[in-house]
Amino acid sequence: MKKIIQRILEFSLVGKIALIVIGFFIVLAIFSSQLSHYPYDLPSGAALQPPSREHWMGTDDLGIDIWAQLCYGARVSIMVGFTTAFLSVAGGGLVGVCAGYYGGKIDGWMMRLTDLMMIIPQLPMMIVLGAFFGPSLKNIIFVLTLFSWTAPARIVRSKVLSIKEEKYILVAKSYGAGFFYMIQKHFLPQTFSLMMVSFIQLISRAIVAEAGLSFLGLGDPTSKSWGLMLNHGMAFRGIYFTDFWKWWILFPLVCILTMVLAVSFVGKEIERKEVSSYGKTTTKG
Amino acid sequence: MFFMIQERFIKIRSYIITFLCIITLNFFIPRLMPGDPFTFLSAEEGQIHTTFSYEDIQRYKSYYGLEQSLGRQYINYINNLFRGNLGYSIAYKEEVVTIIKNRMVWTLSLVVAAIFFSSLIGVILGSLSAYKRNTFLDKILYFDLIVLSEIPAFLIALLLLFFFSAHLKLFPLSGGISHFTAFTSFGEKAYDVLHHGTLPLLALILTRTGTFYLLTRNSMIHILEKDYMRTARGKGLKKGRILFLHGLKNAIPPVVTRIFLSLGSILGGAVLVENVFRYPGVGSLMREAVFLRDYPLIQGIFLIMTLLVIVMNYIAEILYKKMDPRVS
Repeated sequence: MKKIIQRILEFSLVGKIALIVIGFFIVLAIFSSQLSHYPYDLPSGAALQPPSREHWMGTDDLGIDIWAQLCYGARVSIMVGFTTAFLSVAGGGLVGVCAGYYGGKIDGWMMRLTDLMMIIPQLPMMIVLGAFFGPSLKNIIFVLTLFSWTAPARIVRSKVLSIKEEKYILVAKSYGAGFFYMIQKHFLPQTFSLMMVSFIQLISRAIVAEAGLSFLGLGDPTSKSWGLMLNHGMAFRGIYFTDFWKWWILFPLVCILTMVLAVSFVGKEIERKEVSSYGKTTTKG
Repeated sequence: MFFMIQERFIKIRSYIITFLCIITLNFFIPRLMPGDPFTFLSAEEGQIHTTFSYEDIQRYKSYYGLEQSLGRQYINYINNLFRGNLGYSIAYKEEVVTIIKNRMVWTLSLVVAAIFFSSLIGVILGSLSAYKRNTFLDKILYFDLIVLSEIPAFLIALLLLFFFSAHLKLFPLSGGISHFTAFTSFGEKAYDVLHHGTLPLLALILTRTGTFYLLTRNSMIHILEKDYMRTARGKGLKKGRILFLHGLKNAIPPVVTRIFLSLGSILGGAVLVENVFRYPGVGSLMREAVFLRDYPLIQGIFLIMTLLVIVMNYIAEILYKKMDPRVS
């Protein structure tokens, strides 16, 4: 814990601000039902009211409070982002360790598969799959994971390949260490920081992808996410000719924007730290 | 010589295998989708109030070959594909190839223009930034472009749309060309198309410039530290000559490959941006097709997009070898 705090204190100013922003959204997501007086899925006032004291971010065309929707949307976005990133890093990491450790045919097939996944244009494929699986949060997470596991798998594989021939690994192997023992004792600690960087990058990618899919109308219609709010807003006929967009479109848009930027800045911060400390240890040794 | 041909053959083969995998995937996915085109068309949806009798459904099913076994359908599909026949669209009642061809012009011109301008701006700013490394200008450029490249294109598109079109009313709100107007001259028509295309193009350029900028900057910084650059400076050559003739020539190969490799992601961005502006390209078509459960059309769009991306990947690889003789 001390180490983590130490680490955060070493962040640059932008990194610290980004971290605070993420913290804010996480608080919003956890306490969403306490923070807003109104329900996110039921009308609670007149339709299309500008921000006022009562509805301090206004209401949409059904009279649903925007602030309540935003709070709930934070929950959806963060859940999708974290779950997707966790699943892909865990799954991709395992695949990467297997490929790097066993080598040979498994490795060849895995590399070919990741090559294939990299060539496919992702968003069109996600649209097709999203339509095929039907709109629900679980399916969105599944589809996003399907396209995200390759990056951590590749990173972990190359790291495992580079440490596989080290003496201590060979010694451990000759003492009869099993695959899972090796993962736990040697591979996981050494690849952990790389996986962490990958994890953060995937969070922001997943949030963007979820917003994009929901914006196209392929999101879960029962759970109001930020992308879905944009979708509803854009579907409203008079949206261009009235002032409604100033709260209906702008607030969710700004939310996605700040969240994505904050996550990617934290990612860059960790990455930079990682690269510099990596350089130090190699020059020292 | 023989060795090189063989190597190239292996490369081509791996691309062909990739393409076959995608064809197979492409064939199975729409068929596993829940719902079928007939139940959807029978339902009340917008202006469509068609009801099909059982006999009609059977007739159409046999017409489209939907009652055959999956294996047969697959063989037919591949057969037709290699004859350039992607089938008829169920919803639009037109040949898929013609629909896509008509719409693809819009998307491709948007994407190509976006790639061209963003790489040009990215390369210029990148070399400038590398040359003036660690100055105020470099830091400002670096920060701004990193921020821009992290923002998804469709959010920028939305901001542009509401600020420039809805608020300031400088640009048209949607579409690719004004409808129901007779253009007196070619110039007028071209202006109209450009007027509609500016904002979508701007959104794509803004988000894509960052990658090219970063790549050029890194590559250029690496090159500027080389000995021959010091020699060039020592000879008293002009700044522009050093930077562009000696530096850029060596720094550019990775950028050029990235230009071709970036097609896949820029197409993804374009799909969303097109939907923001209701631009009449393939992106909007894809969304319409998914909602109408138009199997052949979805398949066709996805296939052509993937084919484009694969071809571009291949070109990138060849170009890199041609431009950088050190890579063998």
